[in-house]
Amino acid sequence: MSSSPVVELENLKVRLGRREILHGITCRLGVSGTGKAVGLLGPNGAGKSTLILTLLGFLKASSGRARILGLDCAHSMGDARSRIGYMPENDAFIGDMTAVAFVRQMAELSGLPPEAALEKAHQVLFHVGLGEARYRELRTYSLGMKQMAKLAQAIVHGPELVILDEPTNGLDPAARRRMLKLITEMKNEQGMNVLVCSHLLRDIEQVCDEAVIMKDGAIVHHCNLEEERRSNRSFVELEVSGDDSQLRAALPEIGAEGVPEGLGRWRIVLPPGVEVDAIWRIAGQQQLLVRKLSHRRDTLEEIFLKAMGHLSQTPGDAPPSPRSGFGEVSAN
Amino acid sequence: MAVYKRGYQRYSGPLTGSLTRFLVLPRYAWRRLYQQRLVLLLTMLAFVWPLLCAGFIYLTNHAELLQGLDREFREFIQVDGRFFSVFMYVQAGFAVFLAALAGPSLIAPDLANNALPLYFSRPLTRWSYALARLTVLMGMLSIVTWVPGLILFGLQVGLAGGGWFRANWTLGAGMVVGFLIWLLLLSLVAMASSAYVKWRVVAAAVTLAFFFILGGIGEMIDQVLRVTWGHIIDPAWSVNQVWCALLGVDPPTGPGAAASAGALATMIVLLVVVIERKLRPVEVVS
Repeated sequence: MSSSPVVELENLKVRLGRREILHGITCRLGVSGTGKAVGLLGPNGAGKSTLILTLLGFLKASSGRARILGLDCAHSMGDARSRIGYMPENDAFIGDMTAVAFVRQMAELSGLPPEAALEKAHQVLFHVGLGEARYRELRTYSLGMKQMAKLAQAIVHGPELVILDEPTNGLDPAARRRMLKLITEMKNEQGMNVLVCSHLLRDIEQVCDEAVIMKDGAIVHHCNLEEERRSNRSFVELEVSGDDSQLRAALPEIGAEGVPEGLGRWRIVLPPGVEVDAIWRIAGQQQLLVRKLSHRRDTLEEIFLKAMGHLSQTPGDAPPSPRSGFGEVSAN
Repeated sequence: MAVYKRGYQRYSGPLTGSLTRFLVLPRYAWRRLYQQRLVLLLTMLAFVWPLLCAGFIYLTNHAELLQGLDREFREFIQVDGRFFSVFMYVQAGFAVFLAALAGPSLIAPDLANNALPLYFSRPLTRWSYALARLTVLMGMLSIVTWVPGLILFGLQVGLAGGGWFRANWTLGAGMVVGFLIWLLLLSLVAMASSAYVKWRVVAAAVTLAFFFILGGIGEMIDQVLRVTWGHIIDPAWSVNQVWCALLGVDPPTGPGAAASAGALATMIVLLVVVIERKLRPVEVVS
């Protein structure tokens, strides 16, 4: 199994006409062969689509280098393309073809022999939920079905990397859930690396392991969502009634640290491996009535807003003026 | 086991050769083209003239059947360059209408449905896509042009013998080359109009208009400026000059075969440039 990054950018600059859209991006995203998903976030005009189109070889870099699965996008794009699947944002299909013929043709163009392509086309259409509609012409499909057909053509040849551009665009809640489930299955069960470009933070948060936030043609934040999730689990808000003066001394017994905020409110950081049950137990021992206990999450939305400059800090990070040293603890 | 019970698994088998992979597109395109009744009807109609020509060849090679006819007439009906040039004019006409009918359904739907990013995100270059589309048209038009022409030539050789072949093999070669030049031009015109006009009917009209309008302009130049070189911009006229040279038939007055071939080559290059500018996965607005 290769351990090269899925996407590697070195001072990548892209110009469209006279405008420079990407301003020297350098980053390494994902590890090939690990079945992880990377989210590409950013407001409109941030350069997400330009980056994807450059990775696909549709746009040429004015300077710098882009590598995909270890292959140079400028010189080895033919090899790279046989290993990637792409689901564009907009409608993209051949209207007068049935879904099965369309997906089969795309599989054959990716190099599958005709019989294998036909078999995989049927399989993948059942997989995305279009099995019963696979002999219908694509122009008769609803928007949600077209999205699924686009996904089917992107994965029919079993690519190592799937690039999804706004995969949940225009989907109703049920279809959106199904799409996200399929993306999760693609990485967890099929071991595909996935690059998801979306402006929907919840989608990225739900399916991705890494997130890259772009703004004005540059990467302004790159975070490991798995680590963020882990840290979120250990961050607790507690509100109790009763005498809580002994709580601070009791928390270190389970390896936790807490900061009182007055009126029975506490902010507690649990060490790895310690579950919330331990807080309940201590509260019980001290005969405290728990009025509220919640995991206060450092959400992707907050990370995003901070990256966009709308928040001065991410809650959980060190505050500008630390209150009783709590910020230092939660800064990890 | 039924397909729906198997579940999806990534493909990990052997892949087809990358050089011939573009031929997938013509295979699917031909299937769709011949599902159009009009295309099928016109293709069938295009075989009427070759059948009549086959009858003519049979007749000319059976002197006993012509004994009752006038001697001058018998000398007039011969299988020579003139015969093949007449055959080519008629079939070339059918080819124009077939190209106008079938051509627009090749690229225009891909552009209208934004399918190009799907093709070009696969190991398929813009040139191989264009070559695939060209193969569709060239293949389709070949069936009604040089293929029946070659069959007629073979029929004549079979009936007249090896001596006739040795004396006239250039007719067969000239016919194939002449048709290929015409088909290349026709296909490129149909592809260019299909790439620029999304509506099939309009694209078909543009394909036809290309030939009629350039013919009209060429005639106008000749009349207004009192010259004979104006026809050179008329593709049908220019290709006729080249055919005449290839088949050894007296050409019409005007620029010679070399100049006409040059004009055709210029048109082909311009059409390739026009198509190249349009066949892009994304359109960049500067």
